[in-house]
Amino acid sequence: MNTVLSRANSLFAFSLSVMAALTFGCFITTAFKDRRVPVDIHVSKVMLKNVDDFTGPRERSDLGFITFDLSADILPPIFDWNVKQLFLYLSAEYATKSNSLNQVVLWDKIVLRGENTKLNLRDMKSKYFFFDDGNGLRANKNITLTLSWNVVPNAGILPLVAGSGHVSIPFPETYETTKSY
Amino acid sequence: MLPIFKSIPTHMDYKGQKLAEQIFQGIILISAGIGFVYGLIIEQFGWTVYIVLAGFAIPCAPKIRNPLSWQPALPESTAEPSQKPQESTKKKKHK
Repeated sequence: MNTVLSRANSLFAFSLSVMAALTFGCFITTAFKDRRVPVDIHVSKVMLKNVDDFTGPRERSDLGFITFDLSADILPPIFDWNVKQLFLYLSAEYATKSNSLNQVVLWDKIVLRGENTKLNLRDMKSKYFFFDDGNGLRANKNITLTLSWNVVPNAGILPLVAGSGHVSIPFPETYETTKSY
Repeated sequence: MLPIFKSIPTHMDYKGQKLAEQIFQGIILISAGIGFVYGLIIEQFGWTVYIVLAGFAIPCAPKIRNPLSWQPALPESTAEPSQKPQESTKKKKHK
């Protein structure tokens, strides 16, 4: 403490320790929080095609098209002071003969701090292809759509939360064959 | 030449250092407390950081000195009458 440098050193060291303690406090105030939120998913249209899957085994695979509505108000319980952004994603889960659990991400969205957190989306098309690795989509009676989110925090763990409220839809028995264009 | 050297403080001001340390620690702890509560209320951790940084900036400014009170110069042995005491009073000025 007798020279400028040693004084600056002790000042920096102490401030850093205090900042670390505050960050830990920020983590501990939000660590045991329930970040689940009711989500309302409604599927308005389902279409099924049987097309060539060039990425896979070079056979015809099932390709689903889903048009959905999504509404959720994620502001109050989720966006606390330990959240930088949310990564929302809509995933489809279903069982086929070959796999007991298939998970396909259909759509996602990043919500930054300060953005509008009231989701109210109508007639959304999926962002990514809903390809099955075989013919498991046709006549599949139980395909569950769930909205989940990753919470990106300032400090601490990176929780993965599934929104409460999912919807199960049956897929059609027949392929769409008529070309609409 | 000599007065330049004499103007450089060479003694250790331990009490002043201790006081300075306690003051800056107090300032940072208080600003940390304020920042934590404020950030918690408005749900913005960034403001907590800003307030702690503001508290960090305050002790960067002043330099605290605790003046030492020296014992008054003792009169030297009678052989050298007047020169030495004057020098020691000169020294005293810079403490």
